[in-house]
Amino acid sequence: MANELIEEHLQNDYKWGFTTNIEADEAPKGLNEDIIRFISAKKNEPEWLLEFRLKAFRNWLNMVEPEWAHVHYTKPNFQDIIYYSAPKPKKELASLDEVDPELLKTFEKLGISLEEQKRLTGVQSNIAVDIVFDSVSVKTTFKETLAEKGIIFCSFSEAVQEHPELVKKYMGMVIPPTDNFYAALNSAVFTDGSFCYIPKGVRSPMELSTYFRINASGTGQFERTLIIADEDAYVSYLEGCTAPQRDENQLHAAVVEIITHKNAEVKYSTVQNWYPGDKDGKGGIFNFVTKRGICLEDNSKISWTQVETGSAVTWKYPSVILKGNNSVGEFYSVALTNNYQQADTGTKMIHIGKNTRSTIISKGISAGFSNNSYRGLVQIKKGASNARNFSQCDSLLMGDKCGAHTFPYIEIKDKTAVVEHEATTSKIGEDQLFYCKQRGIDNEKAIGLIVNGYCKEVLNKLPMEFAVEAQKLLAISLEGSVG
Amino acid sequence: MSIKIDTKSAVTQTLLEQLQKHASKVEFMPNNEIVDAIRLLEDKGIPNNKHEDYKYCNIESVLRKEFKTVEQSFNELTHDDIAPLKLDEAINMVVVNGNYHLDLSEKMVVKRFNILPLNDLFPAEKNRIASLAKSKTDALIALNSAFTGNGFFLEIEKDAVLPMPIHIIYINSGKQNNVVNTRNFIHVRENAEVTIVESFYNLGTGKVFSNFVSEKLIDENAKLTCYTIQTENELTYSVNTNQVSVNKYANYTNTTLTLSGELVRNNHNVELVGENCEASLNGLFITNGNQLVDNHTLIDHQVPNCQSHELYKGIAKDKSTGVFNGKIFVRKDAQKTNAYQSSKNILLSDSATINTKPQLEIYADDVKCSHGTSTGKIDEDALYYLKARGIGDDNARKLLLQAFAQELINKLEIESLQERVLHLFEKAL
Repeated sequence: MANELIEEHLQNDYKWGFTTNIEADEAPKGLNEDIIRFISAKKNEPEWLLEFRLKAFRNWLNMVEPEWAHVHYTKPNFQDIIYYSAPKPKKELASLDEVDPELLKTFEKLGISLEEQKRLTGVQSNIAVDIVFDSVSVKTTFKETLAEKGIIFCSFSEAVQEHPELVKKYMGMVIPPTDNFYAALNSAVFTDGSFCYIPKGVRSPMELSTYFRINASGTGQFERTLIIADEDAYVSYLEGCTAPQRDENQLHAAVVEIITHKNAEVKYSTVQNWYPGDKDGKGGIFNFVTKRGICLEDNSKISWTQVETGSAVTWKYPSVILKGNNSVGEFYSVALTNNYQQADTGTKMIHIGKNTRSTIISKGISAGFSNNSYRGLVQIKKGASNARNFSQCDSLLMGDKCGAHTFPYIEIKDKTAVVEHEATTSKIGEDQLFYCKQRGIDNEKAIGLIVNGYCKEVLNKLPMEFAVEAQKLLAISLEGSVG
Repeated sequence: MSIKIDTKSAVTQTLLEQLQKHASKVEFMPNNEIVDAIRLLEDKGIPNNKHEDYKYCNIESVLRKEFKTVEQSFNELTHDDIAPLKLDEAINMVVVNGNYHLDLSEKMVVKRFNILPLNDLFPAEKNRIASLAKSKTDALIALNSAFTGNGFFLEIEKDAVLPMPIHIIYINSGKQNNVVNTRNFIHVRENAEVTIVESFYNLGTGKVFSNFVSEKLIDENAKLTCYTIQTENELTYSVNTNQVSVNKYANYTNTTLTLSGELVRNNHNVELVGENCEASLNGLFITNGNQLVDNHTLIDHQVPNCQSHELYKGIAKDKSTGVFNGKIFVRKDAQKTNAYQSSKNILLSDSATINTKPQLEIYADDVKCSHGTSTGKIDEDALYYLKARGIGDDNARKLLLQAFAQELINKLEIESLQERVLHLFEKAL
């Protein structure tokens, strides 16, 4: 039954595949030290940052592309990528009216109209949007409101110019430029991203949000996000993306670093919907992302929530290093794969401090010919007394041509640790469907209900403003099989 | 047989050279298996911790450290040495340093089963050797195939239900450092039923690297129950591979109890190849000192309507390490599979380590698969309960650990074996 619906869905095309025509200021294709110098010069970067990039690049040259993930794909040709592309620079923008109308249209199509944003936020605002449109941040809203509180929320390049001391101190702290193949690549060629600093004792009055888009043809996007919560600070940070349709595979290798000081908390939520390729598995984004946070000091907390519906190949493990005593790490994930998508995603929880706790809830849904893997590590270091972990990884299979896999690693070196892991794999029960149908709910809606119920634990963790979009994306990804 | 070795790994090279010096020609092994074996060892060498399957069990480093030279000189064993190892209720067979020992083994008092040294096999039987455990798949199987001793072939005839268990005693008796490759093939024919106990001992004075490979073929509607008792001493480094094929309506159970041994690696690879068959793998280990016990299980559901169960428990003390790596593999056509896996561990020391990696790899949608693993300490509430009733701290802890282990010891359905294991378990505590 479900099979038919999935078959039906296979006919559906990616609805948000469109491109915007903006002249790009591009670097030539290819990667070498000159390109890196070009990017650095273009962005008017200080010497130390260029050194950082070059060091990363030299390391990268000696690294081998990882192959351990349960995914198969044609490796990208790194010399065939344009590493820098920026929309034509404009003068300082005073209001939304000055933003390129084509750009505004793009966002309208995505349902994130800036006008609406502005209208909504006339008196009391909820979300601040920092738009990254092809590698360069065009417009930052709500900046003034945030500035009053002392919160810095700007594009990465702006932060490099205006707050170099903060960037220099924290950049590469959690993910050193030598960390892994794609993190090293990102460290060498990143063009922009977001920077967020919440000063001591400040609770961010609104949820900070960034939308990323990949636009000009042939550009890989290499963002870098750095979020720092100083003592007693709190922020909820949202990130989401949709991408236009492309025939060739595009590479996306982002780096996200989160640092929390004493008693601080960062809640990071993301909805990812890069173009997954067509129904034959042609095209689609390669999403090779390194995300990691560190609870640097006592009583701090980092929480990752992700809804992954897009990308042809996903390779992503948002992790938490629990260094401070009593720190808390959380990971909530829904990963949905359809057609020929492949996802290898999960988390790492590294317990170093005493009384640290972590929770992992992962829900995988595979349909079509897709493969969906959970890969996670829970490591309790020696001396991390009374560490506690609970992991639950569930997989739902829709159709007999897809695969669901679980690869958890659990390494414990402390006798007071209590670690639990459980995983199940199943399909939607005929009795569940029957129950719904008996009550007059048609097949499609019933599957929708059941899948939504299955993911509820994770979707509940998303901030209100984001939950709506998450459900929308989930629904679109399983359209035909989910109501 | 001349072997040209051109490998990057010096460890592999030294080992192969030394083994070649001592090994007699392995006549019963198909030629292509030996060729595959050498090729694999040349290409990949002995696995180290960079090899995903041996991530927590670095065989290469053990060989490099402990087996720089290999002597292959052994002590002679007498009936007196064997007597205390025997089980009264069973037919006791003896394998010494990889070779089936006719004199020390008991004469057959039960009909309908045949046991033969591998060198004396007829061609039809010979063909079955290496039909399950292929050199290509694993470096340790390859090493065994190339240099194995004269093990045995055991066949349980069609429809035979053996009234008493068969007890196979594997003994190593090296004077100096030596490497022993033991091999056997157990074939349980249609509708037959048998219980086999496999005990492992090291009575030698030298260190031994014991590389054991057993192939177990279970025909339609047959039942094989295996108990593996590992009680080798701290001079023993062993890798034990059980390659099992389970056919229609057949049933396979293995319970492995690891009570000592410096390094013990167990590979249980079970292929469910006939519909409606069932497999259970159980294991218990208790580790002391610097011991490392690494249990690897792979249950390969190839056909629909099969069931598998796994229950593994471990207790790690001192600086020891316990590993459980269990994989449930459900192929595309294996609908209606039921597979359960559970691993529970207790850490008793801050220097001990438990690593677990329960994996599910599933390509069919109409299945029920689950795994659970937990690692923790002794339940404080239970401890308090006992202490409140006047039981001392030490005794209370022992009682709780024994209760934890009892579930697995109870799976041994031979009374004297249960007693023996319980005694060893208490000693290890």
